[in-house]
Amino acid sequence: MAEEVKKSRFTFSLDAWAVWAALSLVLLVRLGVVTKVPW
Amino acid sequence: MASTSIAVPQAPSFWPALKFLQLIPGVLLLGAIGYLGKFIEQSLNAYARAHHLTIPNIEYVLWAIVIGLVVSNTVGVPRVFQAGVATYEFWLKAGIVFLGVRFLLGDVLKLGGLSLALVGIELTVAILVMTLLGRVFKLSPKLTTLLAVGSSICGVSAIIATKGAIEADDEDASLAIAAILALGGLSLVFFPLIGHALHLSDRAYGLWAGLAVDNTAEATAAGALFSDAAAKIAVLAKTTRNALIGFVVLAYAIYWASKGQASTIENKASFLWQKFPKFVLGFLLLSLLATFHFFDKGQIGSIANLSRWAFLLTFAGVGLRTNIRELGKQGWRPFVVGAVGEIGIAVVTLAIVVVADRFI
Repeated sequence: MAEEVKKSRFTFSLDAWAVWAALSLVLLVRLGVVTKVPW
Repeated sequence: MASTSIAVPQAPSFWPALKFLQLIPGVLLLGAIGYLGKFIEQSLNAYARAHHLTIPNIEYVLWAIVIGLVVSNTVGVPRVFQAGVATYEFWLKAGIVFLGVRFLLGDVLKLGGLSLALVGIELTVAILVMTLLGRVFKLSPKLTTLLAVGSSICGVSAIIATKGAIEADDEDASLAIAAILALGGLSLVFFPLIGHALHLSDRAYGLWAGLAVDNTAEATAAGALFSDAAAKIAVLAKTTRNALIGFVVLAYAIYWASKGQASTIENKASFLWQKFPKFVLGFLLLSLLATFHFFDKGQIGSIANLSRWAFLLTFAGVGLRTNIRELGKQGWRPFVVGAVGEIGIAVVTLAIVVVADRFI
């Protein structure tokens, strides 16, 4: 558990990855590379 | 205490390319469970329509969480999947960024302003209640601090951030995380039931879930279990809470440093920036772009659907990382303090959102 808690400290660097990944996909949608995302 | 007990959300190591491959099985598992949930929802609805039956619509959110829980608590999550399953928090944050396109900046400022005022009350109540209960149940002061931060701000992330800042024991952090995770799971059952029983509006329920449910994933799921509109508002209210994480952690760090039980923080502005959840900026950027018509209607629909897919993976992860048996091994006192405190916070926040919804 101690090891898991230590690893969890990296949680905050996830934010940047999540933002960049999301913005990259948004850019693909905006540029028309991805034309439609179904649900 | 079990050494490998609770699947505490962990960020995987992204940088080495090989590590990336290790994520694939778990991410596929998240996708498979989430999609199965969606498939069951659609199949049941189609069956009911074809046979002219009236059955309650059980959202894919609940199916995904329940299937994840069943897997986690029966066969368990094999090691090969664990790194990928831990990415559920990545999908959650990406999903929140995508969700920004569904808010005009004016709505964000209006609802965010209301949320901020309510969060102020919630923070005060949560910290006071948890501190009092911690003393009554004779928990260690640092464990009490961790529970107070976990219940007032944003669950596991806040506990991890505070643990480092106040130099608390790993065991205290584990106990606080266990209590917050267990209570977050229970909130998924009780919040929608209470919300429907009281006929809360989407706005009131969303604000309530965002203010009272501790982990962002559970707050989003609790909102989505009520309605799509409630989920949007729950995410906004919860994000407002998350944005305050640095201030609360800093306040506690200063308090413990003044007692000589933690290091003094030299650069407070840098500390606040370090703790600030950066995905909030991505959310605001997309809201700003949507407000200024950077996207057409079809593109907004596509980005909103990206958000739904990201949340689908998140909800599967919420179920998969919850091991009920292991949570039970963590001792009853932190859980009782957490439970009593959370009930108190839920009642107070329910009262304030009902009043706010009626008069604001």
